[in-house]
Amino acid sequence: MRAKHFFIATVATAAIVTGAWLSFQEAQTPSPPITATVLPQPVDLAKFSLIDHRSQPFTAAEFAGQWDLVFFGFTNCPDICPLTLKVLADARTLADVGDTRVVLVSVDPERDTPDNLARYVGHFGDNIIGLTGELDQLRALTGSLGIWFEKEPSDNEHYNVNHSAAVIVVDPDGKFHAVFTAPHVAENIAADMQSLMALAK
Amino acid sequence: MNRFILLATLAALAACTEPQSPLIIKNLDVQRALPGTSMGRAYLTLVNTTDDPITITHVSSPDFGRVALHESVIEDGIARMRALDTLTIAAGDQVKLAPGGKHLMLHDALSEDSEIVFVFYAGDTPVLSVATRTDTVEF
Repeated sequence: MRAKHFFIATVATAAIVTGAWLSFQEAQTPSPPITATVLPQPVDLAKFSLIDHRSQPFTAAEFAGQWDLVFFGFTNCPDICPLTLKVLADARTLADVGDTRVVLVSVDPERDTPDNLARYVGHFGDNIIGLTGELDQLRALTGSLGIWFEKEPSDNEHYNVNHSAAVIVVDPDGKFHAVFTAPHVAENIAADMQSLMALAK
Repeated sequence: MNRFILLATLAALAACTEPQSPLIIKNLDVQRALPGTSMGRAYLTLVNTTDDPITITHVSSPDFGRVALHESVIEDGIARMRALDTLTIAAGDQVKLAPGGKHLMLHDALSEDSEIVFVFYAGDTPVLSVATRTDTVEF
């Protein structure tokens, strides 16, 4: 009789411990991102050489070391681009996303000089990098990320550049890891970045 | 001086017209060009208080070289901007110029004034003028 009680107590204890362990495991497993599309395998970026807003060279190697949220736009875009940069800057403050940077790659290198970019990105906060440079180098980067852009014909200096609205996530290995498609919401990006970072550990 | 004449003319026009303006502006939000750029933008809601549609053909301002009616759209993942030839507000209806959609593009600031004046035209007729202070607007 005593042996039977011991057996029941042992089974019950094992069940409780197993249950607690399973719930602990569940709590520890990061939830998958909700709005980001994650690539099955991170992809290497093409070789490129651009100039950052401090007039320093910026190559694919500069992407390694931290997570980056990369957006393509131009400073004379008065609506979508500042709205998106604000969303990305806000996302960095809404959750602990470490030293994640925001990178604005100009699709209007003709007008966006490093000096202009420096003043522009500074408006949106710290840890925001602006990139510009030669068109062929820009196309090398955008081509490897599936980003499209095209300057509209114009008979004066007031031209527009149409461009992909996606935000690309580059991981600390400097690889194309995931993509956010528009419309962009700061809360969603913040939450998904936390998930991506936790899953990559 | 131009600004004075414009405001005086508009004040005279306003004094001659009925008390209710045919067009009312709400939620005016002006952002001058951000640092490093030459392009600002304005968002607002246009309310047509009449029984007839009103078609805005252009907008001018003594504070900018050019004001353009534009619309941002995202189609198939591509952000595009289109110039709008006209903007029609149906009778008794309203049209919102808001983030990510229709907006006024403000080219080439001509002044640093904190007060900005816009004049909305239906053809050659100015139908509404509005002034705003930009130093109260935050982005």
